[in-house]
Amino acid sequence: MTATTGFIPYDAVNTKSSRKFERAAEYAPEDFHKHVFELEAEGEWIVQRVPEPYVEVMTKYGRTKKIPLELTWHHKSCGQCGHIPGYSTAIFWLNRKLNFKYIDPTDQTSCTAWNYYASATSNAAAQAGVAMRNFAAAYETGYYPLIHCGTSYGHYKEVREEMVHHPEIRHQVRDVMKKLGKPLVMPEEIVHYSEWIHAVRDRIAALQTRDFSSIAVTVHPACHYYKLVQEDAIYDPDIYGGQRTATVSALIVALGAEVRDYSTWFDCCGFGFRHILVQRDFTRSFATRRKIEVMKEEANPDVVITHDTGCVTTLDKSQFVGQAHGLNVGVPVMSDAQFAALAMGAHPYRVCQLHWHSTDYKPLLEKMNIDHEKAWAEFQEDLKKLKSGEKEYLTWEDVDA
Amino acid sequence: MASDTVLIIGGGPAGLEAARLVGDLGAKAVVIEKRDHLGGTPIAENYAALTHGFRDAEEAMDEMMRGVTHHPNVEARLGWEVAASEGNAGDFKVTVAKSGNGASEVLNAGAVIIATGFQHFDPGRETQMYGYYEYDDVITLADAEHMLKHHKFVKPSNGQAPERVCFIQCVGSRDRQIGNEYCSKVCCGISSKQAIEIRQQVPGAKVFIFYIDMRMYGYWENEIYWPAQEKYHVQYVKGIITEIIRKGDRLLVRGEDTTMGRPMEVPMDIVVLAVGMEPSRGTKDVAQIFGLKQNKYKFIEVPHDALDPTATSVPGIFVAGAAAGPKDLDDSIGMAGAAAAKAVALVRRLAKVTA
Repeated sequence: MTATTGFIPYDAVNTKSSRKFERAAEYAPEDFHKHVFELEAEGEWIVQRVPEPYVEVMTKYGRTKKIPLELTWHHKSCGQCGHIPGYSTAIFWLNRKLNFKYIDPTDQTSCTAWNYYASATSNAAAQAGVAMRNFAAAYETGYYPLIHCGTSYGHYKEVREEMVHHPEIRHQVRDVMKKLGKPLVMPEEIVHYSEWIHAVRDRIAALQTRDFSSIAVTVHPACHYYKLVQEDAIYDPDIYGGQRTATVSALIVALGAEVRDYSTWFDCCGFGFRHILVQRDFTRSFATRRKIEVMKEEANPDVVITHDTGCVTTLDKSQFVGQAHGLNVGVPVMSDAQFAALAMGAHPYRVCQLHWHSTDYKPLLEKMNIDHEKAWAEFQEDLKKLKSGEKEYLTWEDVDA
Repeated sequence: MASDTVLIIGGGPAGLEAARLVGDLGAKAVVIEKRDHLGGTPIAENYAALTHGFRDAEEAMDEMMRGVTHHPNVEARLGWEVAASEGNAGDFKVTVAKSGNGASEVLNAGAVIIATGFQHFDPGRETQMYGYYEYDDVITLADAEHMLKHHKFVKPSNGQAPERVCFIQCVGSRDRQIGNEYCSKVCCGISSKQAIEIRQQVPGAKVFIFYIDMRMYGYWENEIYWPAQEKYHVQYVKGIITEIIRKGDRLLVRGEDTTMGRPMEVPMDIVVLAVGMEPSRGTKDVAQIFGLKQNKYKFIEVPHDALDPTATSVPGIFVAGAAAGPKDLDDSIGMAGAAAAKAVALVRRLAKVTA
């Protein structure tokens, strides 16, 4: 008998088909690396190399991708900082605990994906210009860009395609960069933070202090991570037989929690960019009826783990609508970074800032053997010090206290 | 001095037919087959019955093989591969290597016929949402052939007879996203043939075929398509399947019913993916070795698919069967005959010139 009896009587991650999938790079779309380095050789731009040490992971068609461990420049997410600040804090906390040098930059702009996906204003050169400006800003620090936002990640990979194959756009952007006094720089790889977490998942597991073996998880993979420029996403033969992206799911497995499958795994979270802007009711109903309700009925998870700002926000904050209508919802949602940090003993409020989340996460914390009342009392003490002026803001020392 | 030998690469239906005809025409034929047996994909993939006429595939291929193995003018070399080639029409020097022991030798040939065939599209390559490598009960046409041949059409996951079976057409064919924009020609017919066989072997099973449009050319219309519906009650549903997931101990097939104009979700016990054709590894390798032009799909390019379907970009080298693109057996056998005649005509003409 498995824990999923009564829902889906199998564990899709651990139960593999008897068939073996042989990857063949020959079927993959063209390898951008060749063009990126050719353009460097022609003097068109500078290629920022992935700094050592790096981990090589396998992408969809069996090619390798270099994921830097440290010297990372953290390109944050608009929605992450506004809605779920514990998301980026958790990423930084993990870097600190793993003793990796990183930089939390101030010279960063939004990626303009809102313009792009919501069919608003702007043009191809302007879109690309913003991406290249951010890459240049990272290059100037000597640190390597690590993209927190799934949307920016997908968008930047599309920009790379345009910059490689459309010299007219590349030359327009080069002129813009000249005016800004910045070099034209293309990173050797465009790396999402969740790929970094994937690459260090065993190191995270080695530092795990909390037992997650009783935690059941459903994974929502971010569309902008693996559906855009799909050949660049990470796949692993041991996760879903190499047939679904391995990011997030492999981390959960490494942390000893149980991944449960559900039938709308491939579906969007409901965010959809355009929907969230002009048909918010569609977003809310999609998130609750197509994702959360299905997960509840089929897998009954303790938590949903995902790896994009829009997904965490949409899946978490849409549930209040479902509750109002009596739907079978009520599952906490968080990022892989927050989940990993909790596994390594992070404070649920000072680091993971779960009080920003809408769904009731406290039963989950209890299952993780986290005394959330004590943690909350500690956090209240922090707030008192801030209110009284004794402290201006919380520091990493406060977090580790 | 021009060689009167025609070298035939590949021992499948096209290669066997070409070899037999070259021999019948009085020239010498050497068949190079990298597998340890003749018969090509129908034998290697355990085909049950041929789509045209439901003839037992093994029996039919045995007959073709005997036409070669007992022919005084034909030599078949099993377990050999082409490694290199030089020379021109009338005087090719082709290095062949024996797999495993490293032995190699050079063969002289006046002409070469490429009959290296196709391979089935791998449904894990781009269509992960069909779950072929996740769910044992999602199978391909070739898997189904294997089970039908042994009269054991069951759910691979538990060995039980299925109650509901469906076929999904055009997996890896007619797909611009994947890049295989071509129709693979035979999958509609094979699926319908298999649907009939399933109904014969598992009468209690309901069988569905989800299709873009059925391409049942020539006699297949009356032999297969209408009997499948009228006699065997196979249900044809026009629509695109987008995703297969496992739900409980069944598979849930999701897609759009385009006739009704609405999304559908249908539970199934077995899903058969009608995988199309792609050039075989051997086809791609020999194209490189002989310097043959390939089309954008990596099949061997011919001057005109209808008017000159067996010539290649290199004089003296001909092609037959699915090495030149998706082909059914009718096409393959017809092409093999034409290629054999042209190859023999060429070596004889060159022999006269050099005599």
